Amino acid sequence: MSANKQLALVIDLNVCVGCHACVTSCKEWNTQGSAGPLTDLNAYGANPSGTFFNRVQTYEAGSFPNTQTVHFPKSCLHCEEPPCVPVCPTGASYKRKEDGIVLVDYDKCIGCSYCSWACPYGARELDEERQVMTKCTLCVDRIYSETLPESERKPACVLACPTSARIFGDVHDPESDASKAIEERKGYALMPEWETQPANHYLPRSIMETIDAARNDK
Amino acid sequence: MRPQFSIIFFTTLAGMAQGLLFFIALLNIEAPVLSAPFLLMLALPVSFILLTLGLVASFFHLGHPERAWRAAMMWRTSWLSREVIALPAVMLMTAMTFFFVASGMVPAWIWAILLISILALWICTAKIYQCIRFIQEWSHPSTLSNFILLGLTSGGLLLEFLLMLWNDPDTPFGVGLISGLNFILLFIALNLKLWIWRRNQQLKPKSNLATATGIKGSNIRQTSMGFMGGSFNTREFFHHQTDRVISNIRKIILLMTYIGPMILLAFSMNSPNIAQIAIALLMHYIGLLAERWMFFAEANHPQNLYYQRVS
Repeated sequence: MSANKQLALVIDLNVCVGCHACVTSCKEWNTQGSAGPLTDLNAYGANPSGTFFNRVQTYEAGSFPNTQTVHFPKSCLHCEEPPCVPVCPTGASYKRKEDGIVLVDYDKCIGCSYCSWACPYGARELDEERQVMTKCTLCVDRIYSETLPESERKPACVLACPTSARIFGDVHDPESDASKAIEERKGYALMPEWETQPANHYLPRSIMETIDAARNDK
Repeated sequence: MRPQFSIIFFTTLAGMAQGLLFFIALLNIEAPVLSAPFLLMLALPVSFILLTLGLVASFFHLGHPERAWRAAMMWRTSWLSREVIALPAVMLMTAMTFFFVASGMVPAWIWAILLISILALWICTAKIYQCIRFIQEWSHPSTLSNFILLGLTSGGLLLEFLLMLWNDPDTPFGVGLISGLNFILLFIALNLKLWIWRRNQQLKPKSNLATATGIKGSNIRQTSMGFMGGSFNTREFFHHQTDRVISNIRKIILLMTYIGPMILLAFSMNSPNIAQIAIALLMHYIGLLAERWMFFAEANHPQNLYYQRVS
């Protein structure tokens, strides 16, 4: 692990309730921030479509009656070895040395979509109207802002989350809340088989083994 | 993956031009086997036009074609960037060959450099796909072999057609010989394609919902991908066709790309007939379009694991 800073999100699957507040706050900030607009096509028509940096998905595991429902927020994982960066032919896609955020320079992007093919997570979306590749910026224009109050210098999704399921911090700093959460609660990365070393981590659900255990959990 | 028509036309047109130039260079590197008028009036201009058409087609893939020049910047890391350099390099070498042939003095090295640039372009094009390690259908040396072999088959058929069109009695070898060569190349290419399809069928995906989400427990399934409308993720990474369409296109590929042209070539080995070769070439090219379409369609992207259920 390098000594440089690596900002990331740690997402607690125990407390995410699937309310999509992070999705809408992300869209709200980023469609009007320096990264925007994130265009919607046919927004009120039969087949709406739009660009989003963040989604909340829902999964189910187990068999009835011992099932669990897991709400699963998903955005760019800001990999330490991002496969999307070296494939970019123009250098529009890059990973910042100072804080590890993976970004797209919209003025250099030619809209070839190759980086999106090279991301196993589907974290990148081509904006249909602007014809450039877009992705989560970790709200780079919030976290270093000098005009926002210091308490708001966090990604919009983190501020919006009503259950504090999203922890933002430097995962290279062992003293950060993010690192401690990963360390203490066995935070894991997605698709470790491709060795992308995602910076974002997920805190596993502590499973109620049976429905009876859940009922007796007082 | 969603088949991209700009890339389908680019890779088939440029591949055919590369195959044609490859044979021209190979035949003429030792001694001028193909006559200068044939090269100057027909073969080299046709190659150049095909490469240009391929280049034009590739621009339709871009959201911002006016920024295309930027794509040559990252040649140190990106195979796409290397391809953006290699394609104009082949065009430049074709033009240089033209002027050397026109001047009547063709040094052997010009053919050698032409050959190298053609191979370099094939490698760049194939590596764009082959280097994506989690698209397991592409991430295999057979991707490169397939691009080269089908470039050679289409280029070989085009050379045979052009030679018959030129109809020069001084050609030092019978066109029937080229029919035989093309037949053998098609036979090898067919076996490679069948092998690739078998390999694809037997692939075990390394990623699954358990690795993609990390959720513990058995029988993991998605109940909602998080939105009801469409998105880039639901459009770009799937072919959106039924199994029946896919299996029919496979039959078209076998018949048009390989078997049809092979039958026509078999009949033309003794008494070559320009109409037969023209039909073989046309069939082969239409088949190639379908083959390249299927190259995209049969590639499974792991991001699709995250986009299975609307709600």
